[in-house]
Amino acid sequence: MMLRVLLRKEILLEMRSREILVSMITFGAAVVLLYAFSFRPSPEILRQFAPGLLWTVVLFVSVLALHRSHSLEKEFDAFSLTLSAPVDRSTLFLSKWFGNFLMLLISQVILLPLFFLFLQLPFPSMPGAFIGLLILVDLGISSAGSLLSGAVMRARVNEFLLPLLLFPMVTPLMISAVKSTAAVMESQPFSQWKLWLQLIVSFIIVFGLVGYLIYDHVCEE
Amino acid sequence: MMESFYSKAGNRIMAIAISVLWLVVLYLVLAVTRIDPDQQMAQKIFYYHVPSAWTAGIAFLAVAVSGGFYLFTQNEKWDHLGLASAELGTLFCALVLITGPIWAKPIWGEPWSWEPRLTTVLIMFLIYIGYFLLRQFGEIGERTRRVSAVIGIAAFVNVPIIYVSVKFWSAEAQLHPQPGMSQQPADVYWTFILSLITFTLLFVHLLRNRLHLLKLQSQMSRMRDDI
Repeated sequence: MMLRVLLRKEILLEMRSREILVSMITFGAAVVLLYAFSFRPSPEILRQFAPGLLWTVVLFVSVLALHRSHSLEKEFDAFSLTLSAPVDRSTLFLSKWFGNFLMLLISQVILLPLFFLFLQLPFPSMPGAFIGLLILVDLGISSAGSLLSGAVMRARVNEFLLPLLLFPMVTPLMISAVKSTAAVMESQPFSQWKLWLQLIVSFIIVFGLVGYLIYDHVCEE
Repeated sequence: MMESFYSKAGNRIMAIAISVLWLVVLYLVLAVTRIDPDQQMAQKIFYYHVPSAWTAGIAFLAVAVSGGFYLFTQNEKWDHLGLASAELGTLFCALVLITGPIWAKPIWGEPWSWEPRLTTVLIMFLIYIGYFLLRQFGEIGERTRRVSAVIGIAAFVNVPIIYVSVKFWSAEAQLHPQPGMSQQPADVYWTFILSLITFTLLFVHLLRNRLHLLKLQSQMSRMRDDI
């Protein structure tokens, strides 16, 4: 119940300002364009590189949402007001997590077609598996990202601290995402990439749990 | 009240003992242990590489455990232990990353391979660079301590996932040697154990030294606040 109210707040904030989504999409499109101009290899080589390129775009773009989700709360000291409400801090983490997840997902609805269009790649032949994978990895990035973004919120140079901590922390997730996406793009059987999926799910569970349990200490004034 | 670390006789004796042990290990490694027929002298770095990795592992475990205790007790002592362990862990991590390529160049023919253990150490090293930047640029005080504890815990629980993912990612990478220590001849075995003990003692000694310094620092800042 409380989660719904908090999540509604996150969405409402974004609906009013639209600053996160607009900046994510413009930045993402700029990176995709840069890739399209920088690499002009044969289509086969590009197809091999595509999963890596895709996930680096997603990771770059995610930093914008993750950073904004907490730095926004600093204005007018809004976070202290949220904290003074009778809300469980763990629920607050869940609202940040799902809020960031939604932002990532919505930005991808626009960025993904652009990615496949500009890099002249065919859309994966297993769209269900591909989209499922996308949802899981987004959940993973936003779980670790929400925790870290909360952690660096009050630091003086939080804009560069967040990617500095986030990128190495999500390495296992990125490796698994790239490997399983490559398998899905090549229409390999599930048994070939089951392990990667298991790793992605364990990452979500571990960071979801850690965030849920210790976010309380992160946001305390 | 504010005395230096080495004004205590025990600490001086410890420092001398560790220095002597260090020289003994160096002598054993260079003059006593057998030369591996395949790897020749390159194998000798193993007596330093593995204990460095072991010490880094203990240090990062200590960061996570003291982080947990700090979050529950808010006692500054645990934060000091976490910070000192993180610094030493990163130092020994750097030693692993330096000695690894020195060994790998003649044996694998290339200094770097995306081998799971080496890669995991590199990723931990990068995470801890972020940790120190956070401590440096975060506002000083209780919050930064709490947040550092959180990052120490998150980094540690991530280790198994990093290891497994890198292992399957670069399945074709050159394999890390896995010597069964108990089957090693006595000279190799005991030199290794002695080196392990020396590194662990060195870690504890440096840790205590750093903890002493941190305690003095916080006493100083408290005095400054009083004035």
